[in-house]
Amino acid sequence: MIAPLISIRGVTKRYPGVLALDDVSFDVYPGDFHAIVGENGAGKSTLMKILAGVVTEFDGEILLRGQPMRFRGTRDAEQAGVSIIHQELNLVEQISAAANIFLGRELRGRFGLLDERAMRSAAADLLGQLECRVRPEQPVSTLRVGDQQLVEIAKALSLKSEILIMDEPTSALTESEVERLFRVINRLRSQGVTILYISHKMDEVFANANRVTVLRDGRHVQTLAAADASPRQITHAMVGREIEETDLSAPRQPGDVVLEVENLSLPWPGHARAFRLENISFSLRRGEIVGIAGLMGAGRTELLECLFGAAPQRPQGRLSLAGREVRFRHPADARRAGLALVTEDRKRLGLFAHLNVADNINICTLGEAASAGVLSYRREIERATEIANRLGVKSAGVRAAITSLSGGNQQKAIIGRWLLTRPQVLLLDDPTRGIDVGAKAELYRLMDRLCRDGLAILVTSSELPELLTVSDRILVLCEGRKTAEFTRAEATEQRIMEAATRRTDAA
Amino acid sequence: MSSPAPHDSSSHSSVWAGRSTEVGLALAVVVVLLVAGSLDSNHSYWRDPGASAHEILRKTVILGIFALGSAVVIIAGGIDLSIGSMIAFGGATFAAVLLALSPQNMKSGHLAPGHLALATGATLLVGFLVGSLHAWLITAVRLPPFVATLATLVGLRSLGRAMVEAINRGLLHSSSTQINVLDPVFRGWVNSIWTRVAAFVILAALFWLLMTRTVVGRRLFALGGNEAATRLSGIRTERLKWLAYCLSAMCASLAGILYVGEQSVADPQTLGRGYELNAIAAAVVGGCSLQGGVGTIPGVALGCLFLNTVIDSINKVIKSGADLYEGLIVGIVVVVAVTYSQLRGAAGRGKQFFAGALGWVAIVTLALIAAALLALWIGRGAALAGGLAALALLALVRFWESRQANA
Repeated sequence: MIAPLISIRGVTKRYPGVLALDDVSFDVYPGDFHAIVGENGAGKSTLMKILAGVVTEFDGEILLRGQPMRFRGTRDAEQAGVSIIHQELNLVEQISAAANIFLGRELRGRFGLLDERAMRSAAADLLGQLECRVRPEQPVSTLRVGDQQLVEIAKALSLKSEILIMDEPTSALTESEVERLFRVINRLRSQGVTILYISHKMDEVFANANRVTVLRDGRHVQTLAAADASPRQITHAMVGREIEETDLSAPRQPGDVVLEVENLSLPWPGHARAFRLENISFSLRRGEIVGIAGLMGAGRTELLECLFGAAPQRPQGRLSLAGREVRFRHPADARRAGLALVTEDRKRLGLFAHLNVADNINICTLGEAASAGVLSYRREIERATEIANRLGVKSAGVRAAITSLSGGNQQKAIIGRWLLTRPQVLLLDDPTRGIDVGAKAELYRLMDRLCRDGLAILVTSSELPELLTVSDRILVLCEGRKTAEFTRAEATEQRIMEAATRRTDAA
Repeated sequence: MSSPAPHDSSSHSSVWAGRSTEVGLALAVVVVLLVAGSLDSNHSYWRDPGASAHEILRKTVILGIFALGSAVVIIAGGIDLSIGSMIAFGGATFAAVLLALSPQNMKSGHLAPGHLALATGATLLVGFLVGSLHAWLITAVRLPPFVATLATLVGLRSLGRAMVEAINRGLLHSSSTQINVLDPVFRGWVNSIWTRVAAFVILAALFWLLMTRTVVGRRLFALGGNEAATRLSGIRTERLKWLAYCLSAMCASLAGILYVGEQSVADPQTLGRGYELNAIAAAVVGGCSLQGGVGTIPGVALGCLFLNTVIDSINKVIKSGADLYEGLIVGIVVVVAVTYSQLRGAAGRGKQFFAGALGWVAIVTLALIAAALLALWIGRGAALAGGLAALALLALVRFWESRQANA
């Protein structure tokens, strides 16, 4: 029996009001590809941050090669050979790839001046090992997400890390980039690097990992050899209950066309591609859910922003709402015309963290809770309570802080905010991002119900099974162009993926 | 200095949260008065409370008038650095309009009420225009608020001076850079403590209504808390900013009129110099977050009261050098108040103030500041003893901190 490389012993981490990790213990053996799986909020990221010295205050103990370790920062961790690649990359975009790799440990030549040549050639070496064909002097901002990630991995390699932690590294990658990443990971493993890998994606986990640890609600459920487990078993352990199959099979009856988009293009000044979106046409009917599929950067968010009058440039093309041509210069125009947009980045673009649930719900329709501009608290509370009850927002009342709600309930509150505007068209940008499985099913049923009441819904998602569950039709975007449109019957994951990568790899 | 909810300091709502900032400030005012009253060898707070109250209130309400405007901008997520210059420019405009309307009356010191009203209207209009300029620079030209209002901070004062000089040359054939406003009736009215308190209370009540009870106020909080989300909620953020910067500039120009009445002269070179920082300090002490989205009007009013109470009581204790230390006191109060509010939050737990080499340098710097103050106020012996005591005390704090951190 080999000695474990890392032993996690009774690790507990408490945030105000939340127990993020509750007495978690398991071992990681040298050379493993050890996957950590669990729903959102299960504590995966927190645990990894503790291992990497990002989070320094916790109870319990971590043994590294049998020695108790307590990192006081990422620097400590890096010296001990532990590096983390965060989901949101930690690069300084303005400076070059080489400068990023050596940030904080710059090579110096005579007189203590920077030795750019040495850094550049060392960076070129590292990037070469990773099959990354970028020049070391290129600013990071000009790199694709997949290459940026390899720059981070190169940085970890330059630190001679023995343990590499990766937090959902494939969520922004194209298929060929994912393949390259796993080739790189396998090469690193053959050199003795241990990989700790957080993921949601069962196929990735089972194709690569040799051990799997399941966390749920901050607790350790089990750690088992991948060979002994089935995806179904793991999913069951993650959720702790059978996932109820969301049955939305009863056919909906779409009505008249409510939104008609013709040759919509969005210019992209100063960029080689010239257009973020190019010649997109489609229509949306009342009582219909149309899904938009595409990889990161395909233009899903841009398309919704364009429709909502929130695009950075003025779009070209024709947009008609219920037969009348419209042109939105500001989200206020779109809202008045009956459009509603639930944004992808809830924290940055949707929530008002300082305000309570009622304020967050009422913010778009404050005028209706006021007479002559003066608000009536009573009416505000009534309106918020009514919609919160209708959508099943679980909270300690509408006066509770919005940040005290779970992701799924925050999302429902934001949908409630927009339902109060009585929209004709609801635009949902990846509405289940960061929401756990149970809440997802609830959102699907909500969408179905709203749709049956006559709302038209345009929804994007990064998860194909989700789009296949909820949509009547699916549009596929690839690099700003519409490459396919499928009815529910025609659509399969395989066909959508093909359409979504049609041009990416040629470019 | 926002109040922590029972379980989670980040999960409180700014507008409705318990009033702990306000209560804390009110208590702090009382404590400062009690301490200063006992330290003061003349015991002027006990012997003549009326005069002291008058003095503190007079300064509080005039600071309050322009601090209110400043606070609205800060709550909306911006900053207005031009307030001091706007006070000067407002005062200059007021005097210049009066002079232009009737050079004769200005000399004799008997102004027509109609002229006063006209001049006041013109001054507020100028405030509106400057606020609109700020809003335009920020929303259309897309300058950061810091840059836009820094430009007017520098520009308005010199424009005011040039304007006063030109009007003096044209109408009075003098090259003076100031205009005297001598009318005793106007001055008596403006300098009456009751007029001032009434003006401030009415203004504060209106601002309080605006921020807590109206659609616009709620949107200003939303704008300051999350600008992108506010825009994506279909709210015209540029109009909200327009309102906020206009309120700020108009409050400042109103304060300019009051200062002209107080000093009986409009001198754009010196009037209101540096007052923008006092306004920002009062807002921050009163619980506004410079990140935006957080703050209350009563808090700002109490912040003004607290700042002026501290200044006044230190003057009472050290007797001489009244205005010399005002900036220093404001600086210290802001640092202490904000540090205290952070310490109350979760972020303060386990925080080390004096770690590493920077910690040692900070300890020496703070001890030197303490020694310098003692030297100025008491004498050389006290400075040496006090400085060493501060050094020893802070070193002890550092030692304790590092032990806590390693435990």
